[in-house]
Amino acid sequence: MQFMQAGENAGRVTGRFEPVEVGLLRLAASQLIELLEAAESHAVGTSGDPALRRLLPDAYIDDTDAAAEFRRFTADDLLERKVRNARCVLATLGEEPLDEVADEPDDAALHAAADAEEQPVTIDLDADDVQSWLRTLTDLRLTLAERLEIGPDGVPQRSDDEAPFLHDVYDWFGMVQESLVYAIDV
Amino acid sequence: MPKTDERLDLRGAVSLDRPWITIVWDDPVNLMSYVSYVFRSYFGVSAEEAERLMLQVHNTGKAVVATGNREAMERHVEAMHGYGLWATLAKADS
Repeated sequence: MQFMQAGENAGRVTGRFEPVEVGLLRLAASQLIELLEAAESHAVGTSGDPALRRLLPDAYIDDTDAAAEFRRFTADDLLERKVRNARCVLATLGEEPLDEVADEPDDAALHAAADAEEQPVTIDLDADDVQSWLRTLTDLRLTLAERLEIGPDGVPQRSDDEAPFLHDVYDWFGMVQESLVYAIDV
Repeated sequence: MPKTDERLDLRGAVSLDRPWITIVWDDPVNLMSYVSYVFRSYFGVSAEEAERLMLQVHNTGKAVVATGNREAMERHVEAMHGYGLWATLAKADS
């Protein structure tokens, strides 16, 4: 996987992905959409899911009232935009969102996607698509970081059997994102 | 941590005195290249300035990336949250 600037077209990039990689992105983006759509915007601040609290963090430190008021005015929009970005990523992957996705970031499904073997896929992105990709990859990494319990030092605290695979996915999303940043930043 | 009476004062302020600031905080997730890109593309600063701010976030834990009225800072914070950066606003230190 690597993104390159697409010829003379400013802002357009193109990348080649293995079907395995497309499968991973599809699943992850679909799960992100589920997470965001299930979120209740008014309750994000006290959500039991640390990923949601990180995706929509408090805008004010030490002032819970102001933070709550900020959320009241922004959370719906932010959640909507994040969903729209993830849907854009799915659309550029040539797929509709998956209908049924398990609640947990499930390795079984990710592994299943990884077993499929086909030809590499060319992904073309225009400038708007790139913005959606950058933001969705960030949201995915923030969510995975919470699932891996990555601490301030960047080290995951989680160490069960699923952790190594999730960490590989986390790192790979980072590579994709960095490749995108370099491709548009010429 | 501001005292309660100071906080009430903040809430009602119309920014005739101290301005507000947008702060971006370090996190272990976002890549340096991405943070720098966000500063460049959203705030329109030069590559050098974006790099300086990004390194300040990375090395000291936070950086003030904008100063202005409260409404403008709220817009910046919302935009940063859209990018996935951890940002807050506060009244500037006097």
